[in-house]
Amino acid sequence: MIMIRRIRFVLALGLILVAAACGKPETTPPAPAGSDKSAPSSAADETDDAAFPTRLRGPVEITFWHAMTGHHEEALKAIADRFMAEHPDIRIKLVGQGNYGDLQEKLTAAAKSKTLPVMAQVIETWVTDYQQNGLVQDLTPYIEHPEIGWTKEELEDIIPVFREANRWDGRFFSLPFSKSTQILYYNTDLFQERGVEVPKTWDELRQAAEKLTFERNGKKVIGIGFENSVGWQFHMWVRQAGGRYIDEATGTVLFDSPEGRQALDFIAGLFKDKIARLAGEDQYMSNPFGRGDVAMYIGSSAGIPFVAKAAEGNIHWAAAAVPAGAKRAVPFAGNAVAVFDSATPEEKLAAWLFIKTLLNTDNTAYWARETGYLPIRRSALESPIWKDFVKDHPANGVGTEQFDAGFFDPRIPGFDAAMKIVQKEIEAVLLGEKAPGAALPDAAAKAQAEIDRAKARSRE
Amino acid sequence: MPDKPNLRSTAKAFVYLAPALLVLGTFTIYPIVESFLLSFYTDYDYFHDRVYRLGFDNYLYLLKDPEFHLALRNTAVFVIGVVPISIALSLGIALMLYRPIPLRSFFRTVYFLPTVTSVVAVAVVWRWIFHSDYGLLNFGLGLLGIQPVRWLTDPRWALPALILFAIWKSLGYNIVLFLAGLSNIPETYHLAARLDRAGPWRRFWSITFPLLWPTTFFVSIVSIIGAFKVFDEVYALFGGSPGPLSSALTLVYYIFVKFYREQDYAVASAAAYVLFLITFLLTVIQLWIGRKRTAV
Repeated sequence: MIMIRRIRFVLALGLILVAAACGKPETTPPAPAGSDKSAPSSAADETDDAAFPTRLRGPVEITFWHAMTGHHEEALKAIADRFMAEHPDIRIKLVGQGNYGDLQEKLTAAAKSKTLPVMAQVIETWVTDYQQNGLVQDLTPYIEHPEIGWTKEELEDIIPVFREANRWDGRFFSLPFSKSTQILYYNTDLFQERGVEVPKTWDELRQAAEKLTFERNGKKVIGIGFENSVGWQFHMWVRQAGGRYIDEATGTVLFDSPEGRQALDFIAGLFKDKIARLAGEDQYMSNPFGRGDVAMYIGSSAGIPFVAKAAEGNIHWAAAAVPAGAKRAVPFAGNAVAVFDSATPEEKLAAWLFIKTLLNTDNTAYWARETGYLPIRRSALESPIWKDFVKDHPANGVGTEQFDAGFFDPRIPGFDAAMKIVQKEIEAVLLGEKAPGAALPDAAAKAQAEIDRAKARSRE
Repeated sequence: MPDKPNLRSTAKAFVYLAPALLVLGTFTIYPIVESFLLSFYTDYDYFHDRVYRLGFDNYLYLLKDPEFHLALRNTAVFVIGVVPISIALSLGIALMLYRPIPLRSFFRTVYFLPTVTSVVAVAVVWRWIFHSDYGLLNFGLGLLGIQPVRWLTDPRWALPALILFAIWKSLGYNIVLFLAGLSNIPETYHLAARLDRAGPWRRFWSITFPLLWPTTFFVSIVSIIGAFKVFDEVYALFGGSPGPLSSALTLVYYIFVKFYREQDYAVASAAAYVLFLITFLLTVIQLWIGRKRTAV
């Protein structure tokens, strides 16, 4: 019968489709570009610092993959344009790759097919993996070079917490670019109405959340909100309780401790008493906060423009430093720039020259003003660009008051997998599906297993 | 009549086939082989193509990984939840749209719209529909006196919400296939049955349903394969997460997370092959049933 034949054809087609989906990660074809790039990269393997050129012999074009869109992308382009006007022999080709997830996927695929760009925006946790696989260029020789490098003052001008986040065994494999931190957003209308002061400690935070949970015109206001990715914030709470999270050097999970338990109990208690909620289906806390459904929340400073947009016409708001527990501790996250080892020495030089400009005092202040990220240099905080900006936008300045209490997440293989587990266990506690006493050891044991597995996998 | 195959005709055929083979070979066959091999790498350097040890560790890991079991279970529930309802609903709607009703082409367009719109775009609308405080669905349920359901944030309701969304999304394509199948059934059978005073119920079961069987069969195979591969719907509906407490984690989502988020390439490939094996076996079984049925 014709139908059977047709079914057979369709079946074959279906199987191919399934198989294609299975093979999806592999579909990037081997690129011809790899062949002409592999030769110079072997030269760069030499450890001799003087081996790289310090002067360009002709025009160079470098590609820069980034994850910036909208106004962020325009600001980046403005910096690149100014740089190109000063360096007519260097052309910066900016390539937007979507969001960070897309960028990571594309970098993975490009590393495999040997089509990596000259430089890219990266997150430090990725760099550990790249560095172990010999994919990124060690920038230390460039930084320390007497002619084209940074002076000691220029290097130490970079905020220590950002500097350290980009150093592996004393070597810089990336440099901080766009940085953000956690800050406390609060609804000034509601705070005034309920007579609440800005909380500075855990106790005050709890009391504020209690006072700010109430019903108004049939609409319920919840005291404090948490992002859906609350598991990623757990590191901060453990540190604030005085505990340790995961040791970067050994990859040991340390949060199953009395301090860890204290941290989890504190957050879980807020949820149990119904004075806290997750962003849930609203995706990001800025939405319910902007509607006035939630009186305050601790979230990323990168969310300032989203909060401003959601709040416009609805509520008045301000930002303050994150309250402290037994200790002050605030995470700094964000991204960096890295140069790939596959680039030619000339391209690497051009990339370094661009990075130097990108991260200078004026540009980091300009970048921070245009995007809401934090300046990465102390000198930028004193620059007129930044001072004028913060005068009008005090919320953007809050993050810079917390530099001394700053820390960053461990940059170890398997951290994402471990965080997924912590996230799930904490979510189960907050949704009332699991007791904190059971979730904490479970999270620690499973996170440890993931880290050990990733470690075994990445061992050279 | 075609000649018997000889060297010349074979060579000629090969030239005609070459472009398709080249594309399929590069983008389909080669990745299939590569990811099959990758699933057995237990100690390897992914970026430099160096393999130190081969083995079954990745499959053993899947056997023990509770996340993978959850993904398997969720996918099974999803397939069982979506496919029969979607087929029954789309068949029903196709039967109605086949009859000369007013505004028929308008309705046909309306039902086909979900198929041509982007999953991500409609997911935004559905996220609003499912919203527990401001959503349309809970508003409707509220009118019936039903307490609001936390569709997207309660681990017990996330999968049902996903199934609802997927059924709606899949209707259009199935309806079009059924409409095509219905138009292949000669009207004379129905006329003859009417003369014999067969009611609509009898006519459906004795004429429409058996003659529509090849289409139904085809739709069910395509739907099952499609349902096993569900990913976009999850990603879009839960905003890049597999739902609260991974309650909507599906097989392909698991593969995606393992590969791109956790750089666990070998385990991701092993999981992809488990998925392939499941869909392959199910399709063979369906084909076997289908053949028996068609032979009758």
